[in-house]
Amino acid sequence: MKKVIIIPIAIAILTVVAFATVNTYRVPTLDFPFLTGEDRPETVAAVEYVVEGLKCRGTSMGFARMIAQTPGVVGVTTYARTHSAIVEYDPALTDPDVIREAFMAPVERDGQMYQFFRSLSQRELD
Amino acid sequence: MRVLRTVVQLVFLGGVIALMIRGLTGATPNTCETYCPFGGMAAIFPLAKYKMYTCRLTELNVSLMVSLVVLTIATKKSFCSWVCPLGTVLEWLHRAGRKIFGRSFHLPTTADRWLMNLRYVVLAAALGLTWTIWGGDLGFRAYDPFYILFTWGGHGTAAFSVYLAIVLIGAALFVPFFWCRYLCPLGATMDPLSRYGGLRIRRNAGVCTDCGACDEICPHRIPVSQVAEVTARNCTNCLECVVECPEKGALELSCYGK
Ligand code: SF4
Ligand code: SF4
Repeated sequence: MKKVIIIPIAIAILTVVAFATVNTYRVPTLDFPFLTGEDRPETVAAVEYVVEGLKCRGTSMGFARMIAQTPGVVGVTTYARTHSAIVEYDPALTDPDVIREAFMAPVERDGQMYQFFRSLSQRELD
Repeated sequence: MRVLRTVVQLVFLGGVIALMIRGLTGATPNTCETYCPFGGMAAIFPLAKYKMYTCRLTELNVSLMVSLVVLTIATKKSFCSWVCPLGTVLEWLHRAGRKIFGRSFHLPTTADRWLMNLRYVVLAAALGLTWTIWGGDLGFRAYDPFYILFTWGGHGTAAFSVYLAIVLIGAALFVPFFWCRYLCPLGATMDPLSRYGGLRIRRNAGVCTDCGACDEICPHRIPVSQVAEVTARNCTNCLECVVECPEKGALELSCYGK
């Protein structure tokens, strides 16, 4: 019955392969352009945040709502697996620190103040 | 054999319990859902239509689903008896039930056959509702004993969920693998592939004495002693029949006929 060892070996290999391949095809949880077509500025910069509280499509929508009103924000793409968000913005109108303040702002619900998102890191993209 | 399988089961069960504790203490936003291959099934439609994931699904669910498909083609439904933490809990309950009552209880054969098809109804309902009425939300979590147990009634479960989980899990004390046998949608997904799984039990008719011990022990009611090879879709390669067989060499694992 030496063949029984095939089962745990297959399980181990396939588990490792599954974890090793997740970065090869990144698909967003939410891809939301605020400005499109002619409204989209010519020069666009991008910043990636790792955000505590960003864990699904629902929280991604909440995140998008938090930054939607910030002048100069062009669009947002979120990734639930890495709890990260890439925000495109017009560098002439805003910057990553202003955007971070926007999504970290406390929100009032039923008379209580909540902070739904917290930036763990931010990195400007080329 | 049994020790090896128990070790593998404990690794996965330990992992999911550690994850649950970390989740409950706020150390991680991830839950057992993050690592559930069934999520890969639920992701197919939104990925194809919107090129986006829905709810909490990610690449990991899809990758694990692909791995599960390959594993099932290679080793039948070994996922169920070697990996699935809920399967492990149900197996232990089944053993406890046998100890307490001195036997397993089985539904009448006709009812059993019909009820086994319920899994396909659950599969269609879980995916269909997720993609339509639930608007991409994984609403099935409120009914899923795996999620309810290993998140300890986490986000998205309802008041009835705990009672439902107790009934569905507790039923394994009486009917072996009640949830797996009649309701599990992930098991239903694997069924068609499992039939052609390469690693399967082979019976050596020259050595077999037709004692029926294998039929008696098989938790999935597979008539091992009446077939040359176990191709049944339900076989999870738990190898309990091999362990129980008193005739050395009567039952063996064969790999693509070799
Ligand atoms: S046939 Fe043997 S290996 Fe397959 S499920 Fe039954 S006892 Fe387990
Ligand atoms: S337990 Fe072994 S000897 Fe008995 S019927 Fe099954 S295969 Fe044959």
